[in-house]
Amino acid sequence: MAPPATIAATASEQQRRFGRRVVTFVSLGFLAVLVGAAASVLVVLRAQSHTDWVTHTYKVERSIISMSRAAGGMRADALTALYTHQPRAPSYYQFRQELRDGMDDVARLTADNPAQRARVPILRKGYGQIIAVLDAPVDGQLAQRLVAQEPMRLQVLATVSKMMADEQKLLDARTAAQEASARLFWTVLPFVGALLMVVAFSSVFAIRRFTGDLARSKDELAEMNEGLETAVQIRTRDLQRANEEIQRFAYIVSHDLRSPLVNVMGFTAELDTARKALEKMIDDAEEKAPEILTQEARIAAREDLPEAIGFIRSSTQRMDRLINAILRLSREGRRALAPDLLDTTAIVQNAIDSMRHRIDEAGADVRIEGQLPAINCDRVAFEQIMSNLVENAIKYAAPGRPGEVRIRGQAHLGRATFDVIDNGRGVSPHDHERIFDLFRRSGVQDQPGEGIGLAHVRALAHRLGGTVDVESELDKGATFKVILPVVFAGDKDRAA
Amino acid sequence: MNAHQPVNIVMIEDDEGHARLIEKNIRRAGIHNDIRHFIDGTTALEYLFHAKDGPLHNGPALVLLDLNLPDMSGTDILTKIKADATLKRTPVVVLTTTDDKVEIQRCYDLGCNVYITKPVNYENFAEAIRQLGLFLSVIQVPDPSEA
Repeated sequence: MAPPATIAATASEQQRRFGRRVVTFVSLGFLAVLVGAAASVLVVLRAQSHTDWVTHTYKVERSIISMSRAAGGMRADALTALYTHQPRAPSYYQFRQELRDGMDDVARLTADNPAQRARVPILRKGYGQIIAVLDAPVDGQLAQRLVAQEPMRLQVLATVSKMMADEQKLLDARTAAQEASARLFWTVLPFVGALLMVVAFSSVFAIRRFTGDLARSKDELAEMNEGLETAVQIRTRDLQRANEEIQRFAYIVSHDLRSPLVNVMGFTAELDTARKALEKMIDDAEEKAPEILTQEARIAAREDLPEAIGFIRSSTQRMDRLINAILRLSREGRRALAPDLLDTTAIVQNAIDSMRHRIDEAGADVRIEGQLPAINCDRVAFEQIMSNLVENAIKYAAPGRPGEVRIRGQAHLGRATFDVIDNGRGVSPHDHERIFDLFRRSGVQDQPGEGIGLAHVRALAHRLGGTVDVESELDKGATFKVILPVVFAGDKDRAA
Repeated sequence: MNAHQPVNIVMIEDDEGHARLIEKNIRRAGIHNDIRHFIDGTTALEYLFHAKDGPLHNGPALVLLDLNLPDMSGTDILTKIKADATLKRTPVVVLTTTDDKVEIQRCYDLGCNVYITKPVNYENFAEAIRQLGLFLSVIQVPDPSEA
């Protein structure tokens, strides 16, 4: 049995190692996918920030343009008012507001850029002066004041141009960066996708392989199981055939042995009749002519012959009992079994109750512990097995110890086990097999019996497709273990 | 006619010892009819069916039959006797060691008149034969030749 077990162990060890490798690879794959996903997210975030910056630059440009447009508008409205001698148009005040808002916007938007920020005060100062000049009452000096202010206005315009140029440069750089990150995104994406595919395919492959292995081992297991069942069936058939042969043999032998025994008994009786005639003659001779009698003749007729006939008789009677026992066993073996669903607890309890008188006489305590499993079996055979075992347990109690007998049962994997446990004198391990042999007994021979009971129990158990064994030590009690199929498989030797 | 033709006892028994014991005990019971002994089935059938002085041609008879014969089963002889139009009235006593219920039933079904199991205990055996002897002394056996 050792080599297949080792192979199986190695195979399962290999399988475990393969399994660990697959799990490692798949884990690594998923980790890579995770990294890829993180990288994609990073790239996307970066692209987002670049886009934000580009938008920011556009906003700055728009603010600057709107600021200088508003300044131009104010100036145009003021000049129009001067030449038409009309009050300033309402748009003048709108432009002024726009200019102020524009300056605030530019100041706010360029807060992050030191170069641009430095230009903001120049703008504020220049536009402040321009606004002050334009806001003054429209009169003859306005033209001179405007002329006087021209250098300031040009300086502001130059600053605005510089700022615009800077912003344009920034825009170019940022657009380039945005394009770069978009390119990076499109480079990372297929890579991550490919990685994902690889991991997915290897996972599917691993799972398929595992499933295949699983299905294969399941098939192998089923096949082995089937083989085992066939083997068991063949064995059972062989056993049943052998059993049947033994029974036929026992039946024929016991019958044929009976015939000569009838002669031995019959002619022994005839001998005895003849002896009685002789004895009577010797009695007569002793009375009438003692001189013709020899001592030998007297002893032969009165002692030797009766003794010899007595031995012949007792031996033949014993032989007759043994032959009858074999006959009974073989007849029991030929009885057709009638399987039925049995309430084993009730049956065993019944058997115990029918032995109540003997149990009380022996002062024993016999009890069923818990429930015994229900089985499909022949009622008579099961009853005989159990009552035989319980009877033995009571019969072979240890001297000076009140008998205690417990009956337990359980069903597991289609086999039902019934234990009859006693605290009796036990059986020496040397005799564990011997006690199941016909006419064999063990231990102190102080109980009547021919050594048939356990042989009968074993024959019945085998016929029911089960076994019976004993676990015991001398003077330590005994446990008789009956194992029967939960469902009786059928009496194939009868059907054949 | 019975008064003129004594009943012949035909004993078919392969065991010489059994035959001797049966005869002794029948005699002890006071039956002195003629006993013809056969140790196998073939010669017994020959006598029953064809012999000049056999029961078929010559007066009433009673058959003592053992079932375990060397050349055939006793039940075959029983079947043949009970199948014959004339011989079927001849009483057949099966006297054998077999005490199988099925076998006993089969013998009665085949028309056996009495079935006796040879007990190993000699007192019982002798008693059974004596009882049979008493039975034989009162039994009225039909004469096949008158049929």
